[in-house]
Amino acid sequence: MRNRLVGLVVLTAVLATALSAQAPATYRAPRTKDGKPDLNGIWQAINTANWNIEAHSPEPGPMFQLGAAYAVPGGFGIVEGGPIPYKPEALAKRQENYKNRLTQDPEIKCYLPGVPRAMYQPFPFQIVQSPKHIMMSFEFAGALRTIYMADQTPAPADSWMGWSNGKWEGETLVIDTTGFNGMPWFDKAGNYASDTLHIVERITPRSAETLNYEATIEDPAVFTRSWKISFPLYRRIEKNLQLTEFRCVEYSEEIIYGHLRKPGTGPAPTR
Amino acid sequence: MKHRSLVVLSIVALLATVVFSASLIAGQQRSAQPAAQPAAQPRPAAATPARPATQTAAKPYVVPKTVDGQPDLQGYWGNGTYTPLERPQNVTKEFYTEEEYKTVLKTRASGEDEQTTPGTTADVHYDFTQFALDTSQSPIPLNLRTSLIIDPPNGRLPARVGAQAGAGGGRGAGPGGGGGRGAGGGAAAAPAGGGRGAAPGGGGGANNQYDSIQNMPIGSRCIIMGGSGPPLMDAGYNSVYQIVQGKDQVMIVTEMIHDVRIIPIGDRPLPPEQLKQWIGMSRGHYEGNTLVVETTNFNGRRPFQGAGQNLRITERFTRVADDKIDYTFTATDETTWVSPWTASVPLTKEKGPIFEFACHETNYGPANILAGARATEKAAADAARK
Amino acid sequence: MKATRLKLAAIATIVALLGAVPVWAHHAFAAEFDVNKPVTLKGTMTKWDMVNPHSWFHVDVKGPDGKVVEWMVEGGSPNTLIRLGVTKYTIKPGTELTVEGYQAKEGSNKAVGRNFILPDGTRLFLSLSGAVPGGAPDK
Repeated sequence: MRNRLVGLVVLTAVLATALSAQAPATYRAPRTKDGKPDLNGIWQAINTANWNIEAHSPEPGPMFQLGAAYAVPGGFGIVEGGPIPYKPEALAKRQENYKNRLTQDPEIKCYLPGVPRAMYQPFPFQIVQSPKHIMMSFEFAGALRTIYMADQTPAPADSWMGWSNGKWEGETLVIDTTGFNGMPWFDKAGNYASDTLHIVERITPRSAETLNYEATIEDPAVFTRSWKISFPLYRRIEKNLQLTEFRCVEYSEEIIYGHLRKPGTGPAPTR
Repeated sequence: MKHRSLVVLSIVALLATVVFSASLIAGQQRSAQPAAQPAAQPRPAAATPARPATQTAAKPYVVPKTVDGQPDLQGYWGNGTYTPLERPQNVTKEFYTEEEYKTVLKTRASGEDEQTTPGTTADVHYDFTQFALDTSQSPIPLNLRTSLIIDPPNGRLPARVGAQAGAGGGRGAGPGGGGGRGAGGGAAAAPAGGGRGAAPGGGGGANNQYDSIQNMPIGSRCIIMGGSGPPLMDAGYNSVYQIVQGKDQVMIVTEMIHDVRIIPIGDRPLPPEQLKQWIGMSRGHYEGNTLVVETTNFNGRRPFQGAGQNLRITERFTRVADDKIDYTFTATDETTWVSPWTASVPLTKEKGPIFEFACHETNYGPANILAGARATEKAAADAARK
Repeated sequence: MKATRLKLAAIATIVALLGAVPVWAHHAFAAEFDVNKPVTLKGTMTKWDMVNPHSWFHVDVKGPDGKVVEWMVEGGSPNTLIRLGVTKYTIKPGTELTVEGYQAKEGSNKAVGRNFILPDGTRLFLSLSGAVPGGAPDK
């Protein structure tokens, strides 16, 4: 009787250990014909990161005339482990960005969103995957990221979307991006980085309809250390969905050029 | 091109050097060579001229396949050309001889090489050759055709619906007369709706073009440029495309303005008619080794030879050599032209990469132009007051 | 030399060819910069902004009064040069540069650069793209 009891205890202990030590089963995505996890498809983030990547309370929008429809929803944020580690002078700049966001947010001017912002703007993006190039096409301003999987070189010059070299680590696409021009923001709240920004992203299919996205962000000119963001990406599963144009230049022209208009002429009617 | 790259790599390696030494390059005078061979070494011409009168027997080209088993069109491709959209008025035949073609190239290339005269409007521009933006510095496929248009057989646009006889070809002749290279590209880059100053929603003739940003040409505003298809036409410079094939989508990237077309492959319903786009909406399928792309749903705002929302384009891409894609398109719009028309615009292999052409973001020109117009008006008003 | 010989005959060709490049690009320049305000700027390039649709050179120019004035000079798109191997490291900040061009109509220290000339007389980038070897631009 006693042996059986001891045996039961031991068995329970062994099982408990085995179960807790067992890693959650890694999802194995379907493969492309060249044997890589298949990331083809239309994807979109569902979160409030584009308003503010840090955790934040709801607040009024920058234009009272737009009332509740354009106010800021609260959010848990996508930054791991606390606030963004700005240097003190950089934090002051972030605050100034925030104060002037109505005139300074590059998104309002239809400027290219940069990385990582393009990954969580409230627009779908499409991945077209080939062995040598993984392309990411974004609706907003027709932004494009080219992930070079072969014939890799350093960035020849600086750009809004950066220069990306990628490689596969098992189930994960690892993307190393440099060559940023320091112009984009991370969100509407004024979070930002400079032209020494360096981002390493890891994109891992977690199910047939979701991806894990995480990015390690470093910029010695702005932050005291590197930091991480993470969030899921969801597949847009509607049948026959396509990206649609969002050529937003026209929506920003009056803001940018209105003061140069010939006196006595009014803004052109919107089409 | 290869020679030039080797030269360039050696120069880049000498990062400490401030002054470029002319002795680093082979001393080949550019204008002494036919423009299709701008580097010191002659570049091999494309496999065969487009539809030549005679053809020597050649080993048939085997089209490579993508990993998904589709005809492989991937890579960087250029469509810079000296061939005009429409056959010049003084030319009646369909093909130049090779000699005649070489003369055309040489004349054009040496023209691009020429210095402009100080104090003339033409001189108020950066020199294209310094930035390698002149066409003679791009790969140009050997194309003996006298026009890009191959149908109608006279090599000219069909008559416009409702136009008088003979007026139909006028628009497409392009700036610069019958020799206007890339008249498709030039005209497509012209402002929407015809006249240079005509603008949606206001303005009038050319005189009002600088009253406001909205009166300025579409390309100046960085909304869309002439190389963005469909169809794919010479953008004037930087006329480079990147084709990437995913398992059931083909992506065509147009360099200016980082314009992306994603063409779903396979059976799909037509897009809803309320969804209209500058580049329309495309559907593709393969017929043997040819990618066929049908595009509808144009919003009619992108200038294309006078066509509007009823425009439909069918494109055909066939890889005929490692470095050449036979690209043709048929344009149909019963409200614009009395018949469809077809053009052949060969794509030739280009070197990559396509660097981000962020246009609107650093588009200082229009602000300077508008400010200049206001300053001129103010000076005139002040002078009038005296 | 060659340029002088062909100049008269080539003007018509040039006009036709310039008509063949995107219309908006050509005409807009004459509206942005003043043909009646030619400038020759001799100075030090502090930065080449490799941007589109046109790149911009920042040049510090010392005036006759000894004061240094920063000029912004418009050049061409860098995209084809990048295909030829040019990078942001190709021209070092501090490079001496002479710019022949025309000043902005709105009167600021902006110009379009017709020719960008290095101290040895060669024009910028032409040794990369197969130029007429050596010598100053023929004007």
